[in-house]
Amino acid sequence: MLRSLVVFLLLTTAAAADTADGEALKAMTWDEIVEQARGGTVNWFMWGGADNINAYVSDYVAAVLKRDHDITLNRVPITDAAEVVNLVLTEKEAGITDSGSVDLIWINGENFRSMKQADLAFCGYTDLLPNNALVNWDNPAIANDFGVPVDGCEVPWNTVQFAFAHDSATLPDPPQDMAALIDWIKANPGRFTYPAPPDFTGSVFVRHVFYHAAGGPDALLGPFDQATFDVVAARTWAILNEIEPFLWRGGATYPTTITQLNELFANGEVAFTFNYDPAQFGIAVQAGIYPDTVRSFGLTDGTIGNTNYTLIPFNSPNKAAAMVVQNVLLSGEAQLEKARTEVWGAAPAIEITRTTPEVQAGFAAIKGHPSVVPSEELARAALPELQADWLVAIEEGWKANVGN
Amino acid sequence: MRSNHWQIIGAALLALALILPMVPLAIWSLAHGWRFPDLLPRAWSLKAWDYALSAPSGVLQSLWITIWIALATTALAALVGVPAGRALGLHDFRGKRLVLLLMIAPALIPAIAIAPGLHGVFLRLGLTGGTGGVILAHLIPTLPYMVLIMAAVFARFDTVHEDQARSLGAAPWQVWRHVTLPAIAPGLLTACLFAFLVSWSQYLLTLAVGSGRVQTLPLLLYSFAAAGRNDVTGAIALIYILPGVLVVALTARQVTGRHPALMAGP
Repeated sequence: MLRSLVVFLLLTTAAAADTADGEALKAMTWDEIVEQARGGTVNWFMWGGADNINAYVSDYVAAVLKRDHDITLNRVPITDAAEVVNLVLTEKEAGITDSGSVDLIWINGENFRSMKQADLAFCGYTDLLPNNALVNWDNPAIANDFGVPVDGCEVPWNTVQFAFAHDSATLPDPPQDMAALIDWIKANPGRFTYPAPPDFTGSVFVRHVFYHAAGGPDALLGPFDQATFDVVAARTWAILNEIEPFLWRGGATYPTTITQLNELFANGEVAFTFNYDPAQFGIAVQAGIYPDTVRSFGLTDGTIGNTNYTLIPFNSPNKAAAMVVQNVLLSGEAQLEKARTEVWGAAPAIEITRTTPEVQAGFAAIKGHPSVVPSEELARAALPELQADWLVAIEEGWKANVGN
Repeated sequence: MRSNHWQIIGAALLALALILPMVPLAIWSLAHGWRFPDLLPRAWSLKAWDYALSAPSGVLQSLWITIWIALATTALAALVGVPAGRALGLHDFRGKRLVLLLMIAPALIPAIAIAPGLHGVFLRLGLTGGTGGVILAHLIPTLPYMVLIMAAVFARFDTVHEDQARSLGAAPWQVWRHVTLPAIAPGLLTACLFAFLVSWSQYLLTLAVGSGRVQTLPLLLYSFAAAGRNDVTGAIALIYILPGVLVVALTARQVTGRHPALMAGP
């Protein structure tokens, strides 16, 4: 009885290792890899909090993969990519090098840095993907993920740029730059707040204040510099402590997640929310979470942009199929589909000029959501992201000097 | 008569306390925009239900997986827990207190403390990423309930009835089928109910041991709750609550009904 139970459990959990050997794949041609990928299953771990993004992946992408490549796409919804980093790390520590449970991750920033530093990423294969030719790797905002060189360890999926949202019915003329926003906060007590770092979105808001205090990002680019940091950080904490009494609940407490800030904004308690991906505002309006009168905008002194990627862990047993998935995600057709307002509204990670005339016409025909500031408009004042060491120092500094 | 009135009022209050928390969930699941200070949503929509019941959301698939895992966990827990409970309830032996303590320990220690270590152990055993491993992991928090309840049931069980049946020529399985089982049935059902609900509500153990690939309803529910999608969360939450309510409703009679065979007293 017990023995048959153990056998049953082993049978239900055994993973068939087919294309775990990344080095062997790198020696193949693309056609051979596509052939190896046929019949494979890809477990894609990705943030699962938006029904339209889930539907795009489960409906559109999965159907293309099944139809063209006989690949089964298994979308695994997660709350935070850090969970997956830990999962792969635990697997590595347990000696699982060729039968991991994760084949693909939607990732960027600190999580990418963790995976790269711990040698958890499959690297050096991206040139094999035919659609890699559509990516402009000369763009530093794509070749670097939060300042960490990508080095062929991940493939871009979307580009985003930070924007603020306001309700045009109650606040028709929002402040246009950081200095005006700080004045507005002091003139309207209790109507503004931001999520406490290390929340991803709260952290980027603090970086905008940091750039403002530094008089622009130029002095901050490159490796971490303690002397520069000390000067700029002192000014930043002074600004943030100065506005603290004018924040929501007198600054006695901060939201801990962007979800909480979104809820405060939806209920009219605060006048602004913000997001790294302005398409989220359109999604929230379509879902009825925000009123139709919500509009979004960047700052004239610029907002921070970044790229998010997909990554194959070193121990994925389905690397060939995962590479095919990445190639499909990069295709002009798939990038166009997710750029459609009613699908997602995500800005492409590829150069539209390098795609087919049909795809280019499709992009030209997209009518944006009225609540989403067009990415071309934001791009006119774009700020680069800092290297990860700066991010960590700013988050730690905020905790010690502002959020105490 | 008077006490009867109070009983009815008490029951009504209890029912209200159980049902009230579900009302906002139901409203959320049908709301298209429900913001302060509106008492009711501005518009109604079936979009959240459409999504929750559609194939890409995976909710229905998760429902079956969650039911299967909870049923299998309950069955295995009963298989282990009934003999263990009998031993603890009917016999005194050296180290019984220690055994009891070890039995209760998983219910006292929070899952977050054991999940990472357990994940490592299961990884080395090759038991991660499948329903089999998740069922095994769910046994850890469910067994204490099963064993403790069965120990209490057997403490009130008089083995004289079994002896009588045997002396009348009953085979062991006949004794079990016609004497022991009917006597412990209400208690066993209560224990199964607990086991089912404890397995039903597992989040961390499922996430760790299932490597995210075994998608039970709590996992799906949390990814929407954390993203602030109250409409979809409401719909999934109602689907999530239903089986529990059904199980309780179906077994309530048996659980409260007292069986004559248990009346022998301690």
